[in-house]
Amino acid sequence: MKKIKQKILESKYVYVVLSLLFMMIISSLLSPSFLTLSNLITILRQASILLMLSLGLTAVVITGNIDLSVGSCAALTGCICAKMLVADVPVIAAMLISISIGLIIGVVNGFLVGVIKLPSFVATYGMNMVASGLAMIVMNGGVIYGLPAKFTTIGIGYVGSVPIPIIISGVMCLIVYILLQKTTFGRNVYMIGFNIQAAGYSAINCLGTLLAAYAFCGVTGALGGTMMTARLNAADAGMSETYGLQIVAAVVMGGTSLLGGEGGVVGTVIGAIILTIIVNIMNIVGVNSNWQNFAVGIVIILMVWIDIYTRSRRAKKLI
Amino acid sequence: MEPILKVKNLTKEFPGVKALDNVQFDLFPGEVHILVGENGAGKSTLSKCILGAYQPESGEIYLEDKKVDFKTPKEALANGIAAVYQELTMIPYLNAAQNIFFNREPVYKGTNIINQKLMQTQAKELLRNLNCENIDTTKPVKYLGVAEQQMIEIAKAISIDPKIIIFDEPTATLSDREVESFFEQIHLLKKRNIGIIYVSHRMKEFHHIGDRITVLRDGKYIKTLREGELSDEELVNLMVGRDIAQVYVRTPNDHSGEALRVENISDRAGKVEDCSLVVNKGEIVGLAGLVGAGRTEMARLIFGIDKLKGGKIYLHGKEVSGKGPSFLVNEGLGFLPEDRKQLGLAVRAPISWNIAAVSLKKIFPHFFVSQSKNDEIADEYVKSLKIATPSVKKMARALSGGNQQKVVIAKWLSANTDVIIFDEPTRGIDVGAKMEIYALMDRLASEGKAILMISSEMQEIIGMSDRMYIMNNGSIAGHIEREEFAAEKIGQMMLLGS
Repeated sequence: MKKIKQKILESKYVYVVLSLLFMMIISSLLSPSFLTLSNLITILRQASILLMLSLGLTAVVITGNIDLSVGSCAALTGCICAKMLVADVPVIAAMLISISIGLIIGVVNGFLVGVIKLPSFVATYGMNMVASGLAMIVMNGGVIYGLPAKFTTIGIGYVGSVPIPIIISGVMCLIVYILLQKTTFGRNVYMIGFNIQAAGYSAINCLGTLLAAYAFCGVTGALGGTMMTARLNAADAGMSETYGLQIVAAVVMGGTSLLGGEGGVVGTVIGAIILTIIVNIMNIVGVNSNWQNFAVGIVIILMVWIDIYTRSRRAKKLI
Repeated sequence: MEPILKVKNLTKEFPGVKALDNVQFDLFPGEVHILVGENGAGKSTLSKCILGAYQPESGEIYLEDKKVDFKTPKEALANGIAAVYQELTMIPYLNAAQNIFFNREPVYKGTNIINQKLMQTQAKELLRNLNCENIDTTKPVKYLGVAEQQMIEIAKAISIDPKIIIFDEPTATLSDREVESFFEQIHLLKKRNIGIIYVSHRMKEFHHIGDRITVLRDGKYIKTLREGELSDEELVNLMVGRDIAQVYVRTPNDHSGEALRVENISDRAGKVEDCSLVVNKGEIVGLAGLVGAGRTEMARLIFGIDKLKGGKIYLHGKEVSGKGPSFLVNEGLGFLPEDRKQLGLAVRAPISWNIAAVSLKKIFPHFFVSQSKNDEIADEYVKSLKIATPSVKKMARALSGGNQQKVVIAKWLSANTDVIIFDEPTRGIDVGAKMEIYALMDRLASEGKAILMISSEMQEIIGMSDRMYIMNNGSIAGHIEREEFAAEKIGQMMLLGS
């Protein structure tokens, strides 16, 4: 029993989980309608798109890099998917093409960072502008709506009483968890993040791993984009704007360090849920929308602060 | 005469090591007091404590009979203690005058505008006093020679009118001729009644400039003696504290079959030109040379990190020229880089991950990793190499230097490599751990592995090698068999070429 207690206290996620519980307690005190099954499902459904967008980014951040282009990658792929669907392209084909575009964006990011060796912050910020620019060009200021029901199911459908987006994100989380924690690829992702030079001297394929991480980030970006389109049953070039840097925040709040080598999917899941809860409870209580960004910002800063504080304490234990 | 500096019972601890243990030291004005000892003996730690870069756990330092407790080098500097380090600390794009007066430039009265003209005049005068009037004070220092830069460092130290100057291995990067003119400057400084602490392990230099010598070993004060009181051998015995024959133990074995052959390789940067060497199975082959002779560059070239410009490399008779590290590792080549913490290890990663870093795909060929199996394998190496750690889950950062080096060795052993390049394998680790590394290298050689060892420590490379290549200025200057090893001869080749 004592050992289990010890293990829980030493777990890297303990403070992230505690923060989540704290948020839930505060929220349920603020409103009785927070802690209802239907509201919790709503939160998970809202979180599922943010989560999908943050999954691949988690891998990229663990390598010690960043990808700021996820949001506009989602917008671009969502828009192209919608365009194809209204042009009667089969749903599966439209989705596969969208995901391939996400993949290409990811590979280009990986190329810029890994081969040309641009700082990832600048390279992917540039890619962010390129992708959102492309989305504008594609949409030309228009909005597409009225998508085939077969497609919108992935955004609004249910299996039993569980919304499909939650299922898709859940399955993807599991896949990413296994990839990062239980495979040689995942191990190398962490090793690159810990020390890319030492990884190179250990004959680890740094470039390949980096490219794969970015490519994967593009794929989850595109998946998130198509899910978003299906959920909205519409697409326009600015549809992912609300996510923006929240994608990065979800990853970092969950304890994945921008220094690389630390963190993982579990943290990102909790990070995405916490971000969603803040907005959810503010909407329930009726906080003026002007104050919402302010509050989200404060919570992000606090979470990262807690993470960095507890990380240094954990590190001391491991020395 | 009263000593200008007194150090009493100084103790400084780092995690896992007592770098200084109750050390004493004193210095008179106009004296050169040499600090000697092996790597890790505590020479640099002592000088850094005096300089305020480290804070000792206990003990006192008196400057002119006043107890001092410097928190930073800046504070020490303000009290007249300057330092010249082995590595140059100048800003390459600034000229000599700008470097000398960095952050305390002369300004026009009542303004913050730098008086460039005055600065130049003062810099020229400082250098003239050092007999270096030929140095161009207007050129960025990166265009000057190493010796000239060293002189500028000294001028910078003198410009604050110090009572004490600490030199930490100042001649490591200088050529013989440059060393001579450097010694002249030391004598000039002595005449100006400046006390000099001179950290070095080059015994030949002691006769030229030393007044007294203090020997440190494993962080402990051993003895202070007058220069010339002991012969070189006696001094070495004091430093090492044991018979050299016990430190470097080699088991006789046969060297059957060629493991690594390098033919006429050159790199694109011009640091390695037309070099050839052979390492046989069961052999430890030394690669000696001065810092900057191109030894590490050659190792990087062989290991495929840098691109070949020309030449051929064979592993076990198979040509592998132009291949990258991952191919070469599969063919059995390993490389322990010189910079253990930056290149050898991911210090924030667990020990078990580091041990499996190279061999991961061999241990887990089916894509999926089992942490418990990884830990088991790491535990085996912890046992067989006697790595001192309570758990393989600890970060590599938690280990002492010697144990970290063993983790790097384990990393290559677990990948089944049988040709291993050791680049300065014992740099910065204490004597006890060094002996363990030597014993390990000897064991590997007996097991038939081929080892190419780069080392800057003459005793180490003489003690451990079966044969030795000597590099000078990017080329192989000589090749000597064990029977013909002689420090004099090797040193000459290192400095002058063949």
